[in-house]
Amino acid sequence: MAQIHFSNVTKRYPNGHLALEDLNLQIEDKEFLVLLGPSGCGKSTTLNMIAGLEDVTQGSLKFDGAEVSSVPAHKRDVAMVFQSYALYPHKTVYENIAFGLRMRRHPSADIDVRVRNAARALEIEHLLERRPGQLSGGQRQRVALGRAMVREPAVFLMDEPLSNLDAALRISMRASIKALHQSMGTTFVYVTHDQAEALTLADRIVVMCQGVVQQIGTPDDIYERPANKFVANFLGSPPINFIDGLLERSGTTLQVSCGGISLALPPSKAVQLAARVGQQVTVGLRAEDVDESGAERGSGADCLIAGEISSVLPVGSDQFLGVRCGGQGMFFRVGKERSFSVGERIELPINRSRLHVFEAASGANIGVSDASRMAAR
Amino acid sequence: MQAPGIGRRWLAKHSVNASDQRSALLLLSPMMAVLFAVAVFPILYSLWISLFDIKLTRPRSTPFVGLGNYAQAFADPLFWTSVERTLIFTVMSVSAIMVIATLMALLLNQEFRGRRLLSTVLLIPWAIPYVVDGLMWKWIYDSGYGALNGALYQLHFIDKYVVWLGDTAKTLPLIANAFVWKEVPLATILLLVTLKSVPADLYGAARVDGANLWGRFVHVTLPSLRPGFMLVIIYEAMMAVRHFDLFFILTEGGPANASHVLAWHIYVETFRNLSFGSGAAVAYLLALATFAMSYVVIRTVGNRI
Amino acid sequence: MSYALLAKRIGLFMASLLFLAYVLAPVLWLVSSSLQREANITSVPPHWIPHPLTLSSYRAIFTAGDPSASTDDNASFVPSTAQYLLPALRNSLIVAFAVVVLNLIVSVPAAYAMAKIRYIGRDLSVYFMLATRVIPDIALVVPFFLFIRKLGLLDNLGALIITYLAITVPFSVFMLLNYFESLPDELDKAARVDGCSRLQTLLRVFLPLALPSLVAVILFTFLASWNEFLFALMFTQTPASQTIPIIVASFTSDFTTSFSFINAAGVLAIVPPVIIAVLFERYIVSGLTAGAVKG
Repeated sequence: MAQIHFSNVTKRYPNGHLALEDLNLQIEDKEFLVLLGPSGCGKSTTLNMIAGLEDVTQGSLKFDGAEVSSVPAHKRDVAMVFQSYALYPHKTVYENIAFGLRMRRHPSADIDVRVRNAARALEIEHLLERRPGQLSGGQRQRVALGRAMVREPAVFLMDEPLSNLDAALRISMRASIKALHQSMGTTFVYVTHDQAEALTLADRIVVMCQGVVQQIGTPDDIYERPANKFVANFLGSPPINFIDGLLERSGTTLQVSCGGISLALPPSKAVQLAARVGQQVTVGLRAEDVDESGAERGSGADCLIAGEISSVLPVGSDQFLGVRCGGQGMFFRVGKERSFSVGERIELPINRSRLHVFEAASGANIGVSDASRMAAR
Repeated sequence: MQAPGIGRRWLAKHSVNASDQRSALLLLSPMMAVLFAVAVFPILYSLWISLFDIKLTRPRSTPFVGLGNYAQAFADPLFWTSVERTLIFTVMSVSAIMVIATLMALLLNQEFRGRRLLSTVLLIPWAIPYVVDGLMWKWIYDSGYGALNGALYQLHFIDKYVVWLGDTAKTLPLIANAFVWKEVPLATILLLVTLKSVPADLYGAARVDGANLWGRFVHVTLPSLRPGFMLVIIYEAMMAVRHFDLFFILTEGGPANASHVLAWHIYVETFRNLSFGSGAAVAYLLALATFAMSYVVIRTVGNRI
Repeated sequence: MSYALLAKRIGLFMASLLFLAYVLAPVLWLVSSSLQREANITSVPPHWIPHPLTLSSYRAIFTAGDPSASTDDNASFVPSTAQYLLPALRNSLIVAFAVVVLNLIVSVPAAYAMAKIRYIGRDLSVYFMLATRVIPDIALVVPFFLFIRKLGLLDNLGALIITYLAITVPFSVFMLLNYFESLPDELDKAARVDGCSRLQTLLRVFLPLALPSLVAVILFTFLASWNEFLFALMFTQTPASQTIPIIVASFTSDFTTSFSFINAAGVLAIVPPVIIAVLFERYIVSGLTAGAVKG
């Protein structure tokens, strides 16, 4: 019904700015795809191209196999929820929702039924005769959703629809949007810069940076097996810890050393990275990858992070420790059983199997973590 | 100077502190002085004069006639002719300004190379004085040698030169054209500003909703322009109703009173017939009419202050 | 390029040509006919492009007061008041500059007070100020005339200056008011906490920030003074105080005047305002928009 296929699509603006570089993406029918990245990465541009609001400079865009890059926006079967909601200020809520159907010449009776059903589902029936200027932010957001819903489109586009809402409302709306996707059974393409939102909502995520796709995969893929430093850093809160160092051989094991630290890599990685001894690498270690169970204890001091606590941040159920070690600062999450104080020296055992190793120059992930490799198998 | 006890309570009731009140009055005083002396005083004095029969040809006798001047004005057929001419001129001018300015604003709202040139050139008619505007068009409209005749003749639309300003049927439209030409830039800019305040997303939403170019114009552009339209119509109507300069330069109220508008009527009465009293009366009537019209403007614009 | 895009480009181009023709054609004809010999522009149909180009009309203007200047056949059509054109230019400049300066002195404090100070009578003062411009100038002419005559200031540039001041102040205040309002209140509070009186806050903090609006006010006031006709007609009787619009108007009533001469005078009269408008286009537009339709 609505499979979208980008082939070698490039978008260049008249002033020379390159917004998208060689995008290849196939969006499957009925999937919830999230375009994730910082501002300027090209995610909104991609969305606008699907809607027909931006032209394709080079390459081809197909809906269900048919080329659509020359089809104007008002002829595509696409509905969109804008970040600013873009409600027509001089029309009533009813007319705002009905507008798309009117433009496509639906019979009035049919329009009325659809509008009222959508309004009921979104709990805005009592607002139908008001104007957008009289509504709160959350109410306007639901009107924008209603306007897109009634069209029952082949593709449902959303451009950061929750970013103007306050935190609590954002969380509850995420659930509503997920439920909407289940009930509508349509392809959803969703743009956001919020990685938590992406991980919650998506069937698949496309991570982008400066017009280039960094990685496409399921939330689990992206989180556990990041393709490069950018993806590893972008997902996860707090951001992943990076330790830069030199890959060395020490007897039969490989280790990464820098400053005062020397991190021994697990044996499986020794095989993977044997060829790269002597190169600069970056080790990626997530805040939650502290090995509290002590399973690896006994392997010696080289799987400990030893350093000085620089900050203690309680967050309700856990606490975050800022640790300085070998001149680098890191964050780890630990339980609340023990209390720590600033300045205290600490030795944290880490879960070596969850390390990633990235090439320092390109950022590419050359040593995907063991744990996830096992899960992928 | 200490505010007296009562004064201080009154200020406090309006949550204004005395030093602020003092500073404000101080900063306002130059403007108030100028306006009172040069605006308020003449307005009131004008009203006073209109109650007397003052003729400069008969300076010693200035009897009080009360509303006599006003009654005389209403009874004067030339007065009603002026009202009619003024209304025709105003309606013609404002309609033309609205249409042309809207088209120009829509054009200038597009992105294209050379747009800066257009918006710079646009200011030229606005910058020149009405006197030169009149003179320029008078030369173009000239029956013997004018460019209008010359162009139409060369394009074979006419086979001999035609009388333009001297033709009573054509006089008002021609003067209106000269007026419109000079007023359009300001109207265009005001409309353009309104256009630019429309968020781009609104057009995007309309496109996704299925509206083609015409649909977007009708459902997004026009409704958004409404406040701009109101402002331009009211402002230009006010300007047209009181306009004088072009009538002085181009036709002096003629031919045969074809362009005898209210402003000209007042001028003739005051400075040619030298009857200050009756001139002031008609002037005051015009003032009242424009005051009524502009009460609306001050209400809408004033609420944004 | 798709057909739609090509059609749009062509459409814009045609519309632009139409636009330029409408706006520029009359002015270009004015300039062109000022550069031709009388015989060429009174032919049927007239010569559109000056060929040969002649500056004799302009020369006639600049030598109008000098009886010994050599004349050609164009000069026999020069009106008697031609010699006053240059003095009129001077008068217009003096008046315009004086009005601009006084306008700033009067308008800026008033606008600041209205924008940033809470005081009793604030709304009233704004309405009052706007209301003074509602009455048509015609209605003010008679009392003004009598008043000025009584003061013996008839035929004096001072009368014009004061009058123009009253005419331009409300609009200036309105523009500045809107601009000041868009500046954050916190600046005002910070300055007062730092020890500035209201006047000092205005001079040291807000004035430098309001530069774009100030430029717009200067431009509008200058143009309004330069172009004003009605009051100048009433209040000035001799070339000692007559401004450019008056002298130019006097040419049109003299039937023996050559058209090329009148047009040359017209061109001279519009050179200052057009140059100013073109150079400062950005400020004019932003000044207008700050004082006009909002959102």
